[in-house]
Amino acid sequence: MSTVDIDPTLNAHAVHSVAHEEDDHRMFGFIVFLLSESIIFLSFFVGYIVYKTNAAEWLPTGFEGLEIREPLINTIVLVSSSFVIYAAERFLHKDNLWGFRAFWLLTMAMGSFFLYGQAVEWMNLPFGFTSGVFGGSFYLLTGFHGLHVMTGVLLQGIMLGRSFIPGNYDGGEFGVASTSLFWHFVDVIWIVLFLLIYIGR
Amino acid sequence: MSNASLEALGTGRGQPQPGAPDNWQRFFSFSTDHKVIGIQYIVTAFFFFLIGGLLAMVIRGELITPDADLVDRTVYNGLFTMHGTIMLFMWTFPVLNGLANYLVPLMIGARDMAFPRLNAVAFWLVPIFGTILMASFFVPGGPSQSGWWAYPPMSLQNPTGNLINGQALWLLAVALSGVSSIMGAVNIVTTIFRMRAPGMGWFRMPAFCWTVLAAQMIQLFGLPALTAGAVMLLFDLTVGTSFFNPELGGDPVLYQHFFWFYSHPAVYVIILPIFGVFSEIFPVYSRKPLFGYKVVVISSVIITALSGVVWVHHMFASGTPSWMRMLFMFSTMLISVPTGIKVFAWVATVWGGKLRLDTAMLFALGGLIMFLFAGITGIMLAAAPFDIHVNNTYFVVGHFHYVIYGATVMGVYAAIYHWFPKMTGRMYYEGLGKLHFALTFIGANLNFFPMHPLGLMGMPRRVASYDPEFAFWNVLASLGGFLLGVSTLPFILNVLSSWVQGKEAPDNPWRAIGLEWLVSSPPPHENFDEIPVVVSAPYGYGTDEPLIASPSGELASEHS
Amino acid sequence: MKRRNIVILVGLAIAAAVISLWVGQQAYTWMPPQASAESVLVDNLFSFLVTIGTFIFLGVTGTLLFSILFQQSTKYDFSDGPPIEGNITLEIVWTAIPFALVIWIGTYSFQIYNQMGILGPMEHSHLAMGMAIADAAPLSPLSSDVAAEVPQPPIEVHARQWAWEFRYPDQNVASTELHLPVNQRATLLLSSDDVIHGFYVPAFRVKQDVVPGREINFEFTPIREGRYRLRDSEYSGTYFAANQTNVVVESADEYQQWLAIAASQPPKAAENPAFDEFTQAGQNPISLGWQSVKPAPAPLVNYASSEEDPHE
Repeated sequence: MSTVDIDPTLNAHAVHSVAHEEDDHRMFGFIVFLLSESIIFLSFFVGYIVYKTNAAEWLPTGFEGLEIREPLINTIVLVSSSFVIYAAERFLHKDNLWGFRAFWLLTMAMGSFFLYGQAVEWMNLPFGFTSGVFGGSFYLLTGFHGLHVMTGVLLQGIMLGRSFIPGNYDGGEFGVASTSLFWHFVDVIWIVLFLLIYIGR
Repeated sequence: MSNASLEALGTGRGQPQPGAPDNWQRFFSFSTDHKVIGIQYIVTAFFFFLIGGLLAMVIRGELITPDADLVDRTVYNGLFTMHGTIMLFMWTFPVLNGLANYLVPLMIGARDMAFPRLNAVAFWLVPIFGTILMASFFVPGGPSQSGWWAYPPMSLQNPTGNLINGQALWLLAVALSGVSSIMGAVNIVTTIFRMRAPGMGWFRMPAFCWTVLAAQMIQLFGLPALTAGAVMLLFDLTVGTSFFNPELGGDPVLYQHFFWFYSHPAVYVIILPIFGVFSEIFPVYSRKPLFGYKVVVISSVIITALSGVVWVHHMFASGTPSWMRMLFMFSTMLISVPTGIKVFAWVATVWGGKLRLDTAMLFALGGLIMFLFAGITGIMLAAAPFDIHVNNTYFVVGHFHYVIYGATVMGVYAAIYHWFPKMTGRMYYEGLGKLHFALTFIGANLNFFPMHPLGLMGMPRRVASYDPEFAFWNVLASLGGFLLGVSTLPFILNVLSSWVQGKEAPDNPWRAIGLEWLVSSPPPHENFDEIPVVVSAPYGYGTDEPLIASPSGELASEHS
Repeated sequence: MKRRNIVILVGLAIAAAVISLWVGQQAYTWMPPQASAESVLVDNLFSFLVTIGTFIFLGVTGTLLFSILFQQSTKYDFSDGPPIEGNITLEIVWTAIPFALVIWIGTYSFQIYNQMGILGPMEHSHLAMGMAIADAAPLSPLSSDVAAEVPQPPIEVHARQWAWEFRYPDQNVASTELHLPVNQRATLLLSSDDVIHGFYVPAFRVKQDVVPGREINFEFTPIREGRYRLRDSEYSGTYFAANQTNVVVESADEYQQWLAIAASQPPKAAENPAFDEFTQAGQNPISLGWQSVKPAPAPLVNYASSEEDPHE
């Protein structure tokens, strides 16, 4: 048997920090998951468009169209929260835990405000989930999105709680990064949803 | 030779060996070892395969005579619905996930999957939704009777009036299966992208891993569409929304689009890993490199891409406009090009080789021939004018059983025989294996070939009774069906007896090239003591190229 | 030696081609009688596909079989085969040929589909861009048959769980058997009362799902007199398999006669296997008491068919 020289870069690769690599896997996997999740939204959007194009009577009788003002405020709050959560992440990077917590909490408050606004809107609408395809797809889309916002706020709560474990976030934190990514994802979906349902009447 | 270095690579950890028969209890635990989970998947899936097969034999019993005289029509409809559902969601998907789980980390030189706990959760969902599906047999009104497509508005008809009915449980089970599949897909894709051993570039990765990757990508983009459709259908069924209910302004054809956007690519989820199995097995038993390796693996990815734009060919006779039919006819035909490339590549791999007709090779060759037949009828079905005649007839049933039984089940058998020594550390009995092959090959052709003439004559699928002129071919098909039932017996006997008391398997009984053959049989916990460094392309048969650089800097040849 | 191989190869290819052509001709006999102009077109396409398919199947399995028979290694021969990893020319050839082949098959199928023109005028409006419309196509063998036809309102086809009902609006006739005059373009309006059904007459090679909430125009041209089966082709629930009836193709005179006689008959309940079976359900050895959707009562029609009637 002859001997071969092993490429030194290959060895370097092998001794790569294990913990860091595992975090990378998780982020990669999470992104893959989000891409897949976005197809569910895409399917609902396509369904909405198909219904709207083919419907003889789209809106329920006696209903003029969705109110835009409150949802627009809601939209502005939710979209701004993406910047707030980014700021929170920057604070964590600079090891400023209290700054992180403050901005993180603010994001949670904005998310909760959005959910509250959504609930108020739902209460005041004259049509329900079962009144025709418009009602059905409206509540399906906003409800499914709202579920994601709620999940996001809950995840943020968990991450906030974990920030009080001493030394927990010293080496960067996958949980914070992925929660933040999830939040941006929920925001982008909302923008599409808002344009489609509220603006594109 | 380098036996010593192989020892160092594989064994010597003193850990329990996941496949060995002496510690069977671990198969009933929440293990996070990918090899245990792989075997759990395979065995669980096979259990459901037997149940689905029993249902099929009752169906064939009913169809051996023209009248609906064995079972009640409602029972018959429940049987074929559950047969299809079980075979797809409880057998083919899980068994292929099992193979991928077991083999991918070993083949790419990883210690485990990227997310071992997620892996275990994904597996344990299988018995859970399997139980839900089985439970639907015992609710009032019986299981779903709307076929595995569950087309509304028929699937929305609920004669019992109960909220918990067969259809609702069916949708719940399918949704959970989707969750499990997405978990598995995220895991496998991450593993393949990020955990390949040093030196294993994309074009040094075994074809099986490529095809698994291609298949799991389909799960990721396709399943969500089915989930969306299933959620809407569930709301229609339970709370009375009107997404697919035409009486309330809904659109039943939209459901068909959602359903087939996933469920046609799902066929590629099923068949692609089998393409991988063929690509692994033919080189080993022909002692030649895989012909046109790069083209074969790239064509898998092309199939993945094309699979997203062909679904309407299931709806040529549905409520679709002509332009849509023509567009999807062409896209469907295009998919036969990358598929054809693979078939020719396998034939060229076998050609001029030094063939050894062990059981795995026999199953692979038999599977290839049946797949070829299915491919030819597949092109016929893609031709819309002809499809309009045979759409929803037994011709289609025959076609996809040639794919799913002829190619997939035979391919799964081939894989199980080929990797059985690796998984269990024991050799199977060759004689029983060959008997199993003969019964399966004859049974499958006897069962599924007669379906083609029946379809051409105009016998619709899903019928409990039929006109007397169809009797002859149906009798043959039923006999074939019973033979297929019998064919599982030598397999079960073979696997059980050799797992318990078979001859101990060497590390590499087939003199195959691949990382999985460099470790002990069964492989130790965490597979590799030291992660191997890959220095050459796979399938180096006939060359003396080493596959890996050994840790000591010495070559570990595949021929040790 | 090399030359001999080429001669053998060419000989085999010719033999395979001859067999394929023969099998392709046999393909016509595997089909039901050709009772519509569309069936002639579809059968030609099918024969063509079978010919090509047989050739490919023979070529591939023949090669494999040769390897299996003559290229096995002996028991103690542990050497490897030649390390051939590929052949660019060969790979290009077997990509290009199938590609050309599917374009050919696709184009041929496209032409045939257009000649059939089974989806009615409403659907044709979608086709207007760039597609030849069947009735206008000079190739179409169908158009000459329908030239002299007086425009008639379409026959209404009503599908339900589980019965077929055909209504002739001008004559005010309802029937459970579809009667059509031979060599005239038949125009139908398909609708469903409940779930999706499928209108399928194997002898005509035409099929169309009947979707509730839609009215679908459907047309074809019967060319052969006789009684043929009409089957439900989209699974529609419990008594799906029993949801079949007959189509009678007859001369124009007989057709008019039948219409006149039927119009003079008072409506009566038709034969209905699904409803009969439902009322005496649970007779089979294995009946688990699973509920079924209640079938619609037998339709009231001027002319009722019988399942006893002989068909081709």
